[in-house]
Amino acid sequence: MVDMPAPNPQRIVLPPHRERARRPRIVRLREWVKRNLFHSRMGTLLTVVTAAVGALLLYGIIYFVFVDANWRVITDNRWLLFAGGYPMDQEWRLWFSVSFVFLLIGMTYGTWASLGRRDHVFIVLVSGFAILLLAHGGAALWSTLWYLIAIGLLYVGYAITIRMPREAGPRRTLQQRIVTGLLIAALPIVLIVLLAFGGARPRELDGFVLNLVLAPVGIAGGLVLAIPLALGRASRMKAISWTCTTYIEVVRGAPLLGWLFVALFILDDVIGGELIVRAMVVLAVFTAAYMAEYIRGALQALPHGQGEAAHAIGLSQLQSTQLIVMPQALRISIPPMVGQAISIWKDTTLVTVILPLRELKGNADSAIAQFEFTPDRIEAYVFVAVVFWVVAFIMSRISQRVEGSLGIGER
Amino acid sequence: MSSETTTPAPAVREEIAQADDIIITENVDKWFGDFQALDDISLNVREHEIVVVLGPSGSGKSTFIRCLNRLEEHDAGKIVIDGIEMNDDVRNLNAIRSEVGMVFQQFNLFPHLSVMNNITLGPRKVRRMPKLDADALATQLLERVGIPEQADKYPAQLSGGQQQRVAIARALAMQPKIMLFDEPTSALDPEMIKEVLDVMQELARSGMTMIVVTHEMGFAREVADRLVFFDEGNVVEQGTPQHFFENPQEERTKLFLSQIL
Repeated sequence: MVDMPAPNPQRIVLPPHRERARRPRIVRLREWVKRNLFHSRMGTLLTVVTAAVGALLLYGIIYFVFVDANWRVITDNRWLLFAGGYPMDQEWRLWFSVSFVFLLIGMTYGTWASLGRRDHVFIVLVSGFAILLLAHGGAALWSTLWYLIAIGLLYVGYAITIRMPREAGPRRTLQQRIVTGLLIAALPIVLIVLLAFGGARPRELDGFVLNLVLAPVGIAGGLVLAIPLALGRASRMKAISWTCTTYIEVVRGAPLLGWLFVALFILDDVIGGELIVRAMVVLAVFTAAYMAEYIRGALQALPHGQGEAAHAIGLSQLQSTQLIVMPQALRISIPPMVGQAISIWKDTTLVTVILPLRELKGNADSAIAQFEFTPDRIEAYVFVAVVFWVVAFIMSRISQRVEGSLGIGER
Repeated sequence: MSSETTTPAPAVREEIAQADDIIITENVDKWFGDFQALDDISLNVREHEIVVVLGPSGSGKSTFIRCLNRLEEHDAGKIVIDGIEMNDDVRNLNAIRSEVGMVFQQFNLFPHLSVMNNITLGPRKVRRMPKLDADALATQLLERVGIPEQADKYPAQLSGGQQQRVAIARALAMQPKIMLFDEPTSALDPEMIKEVLDVMQELARSGMTMIVVTHEMGFAREVADRLVFFDEGNVVEQGTPQHFFENPQEERTKLFLSQIL
């Protein structure tokens, strides 16, 4: 133990924690360790056991990643996993889209949050992972360069927006409107870049690109459908309320896999068209049912007074919903909505059951079906898992940060 | 039973004595399920008049003023505001709502909008006022309620008293002829009550027609032209502050006053 300095009667006596804070770092560290890790016999035991298990696990992971694993199953199949049947000479379209999205992520962070040390560490780690993956094969240099440009744009977007004043005012409003507008327009823009003007045909969207297209369409489409559904279910008009309730209960009652089979076999007669469009419709319809319930919950959580105050200043029912009720309800429902978005992101792997659609997991199956890579299943699936985790983590992180900064206006 | 004593007011201000009725209610009933909240209410208010409504909780006083801008729909009887009858015609309702401002116990500011936008929303969206004019109006109103420096803050960053003053400014921004106050100081900390009452008093002096549901007896005594006592959905007694505080007639009024004074 360290002796506390004797209080000097001539000087103001600081509270104990202030005294502690002024002692050397090594002393504080020693105290922290004792207090948190070894403060009792049971604590010591738990610390030792946890450390041992952790060390074993870490050893296993390091051994697998650096010694045991054959990552050529990934690097040799880089294009197959990433874009599959997407025409290779149109690679710039993919990277253009990635760069645009990264720029937007940077702008979103700069407008509503700020990059912390953890975010930088995460970006560096992910970039290292991406570059390790890209720096193989013929087009390695170009791909790596494209990736670096994309990351650079993320920081450019961030640097521009973070310098803008944060105080409420016309400039702030304009900035928020521009970024929000770009976010809304992002999906159509990316789809146009990927498909239009000599781009790929829809059925050529493949591999990881397919996941990256399907999930946002499902999420955005789901959100657009969910708002009227939630309002409809809360409606006083029975016909509307019953219709919406039926929709929600029917869609939520069956698994996504089931609905995808419906898309494969039944929707063919109804809407026909490209498989990928049918998959998108199913994902949006499915997501909408869940999101509608989250929004309805948020609508119920809003104090009645909000609608009353809106009516009292003469706003119509529509204006009240559009300007007062819905913005607040959507904000309250961000956390469960992001949960649903992450869930649908992972569920895009299910489209593999609709055979001609091959997303990342499906193409990983193809990769290990090659004779030379059959022993490398685990590597392929670990890779797929990590890639999904990275994107899900980015979604979760952005939503947390944006949520935190939106808190200003909360009651 | 309730005898509706309409004591002739001795000290009515000149401007009121000559004014017409701006609010007319005839035989208004309101039911919540099996519970009758308003029982045959007939109560008129003249232009520029300050009416303070008293009564125990559940007596129907809030329900009454909420019927005046149709936050509650009355089940029977007739309500006419400034010559416009309240009925199912949406145009009438919108006309009435833009003439009647309301201030709530819980302020009900819009938490996702800045103070400025809280105030300008109504004028811009309902009156189609250009943004610059609406901003100028809001600045002027914030000065009137004494917090011009808070324009760019959000409601959650203000004290209760400041929030309620913003709520008053928000209602005034629609340039109403009538202001309804539903227990405007009941949710406030004691030290903030006065700043809100001061604003209301200034408003009263400016000639606004006001109906105020409150338990602030000081305000009632000083500002009201007429006090109305509600109980069990009836108007039990009404008269000048002098009549009320010095010579109440009804037993229930006396009991109520003895409990809160």
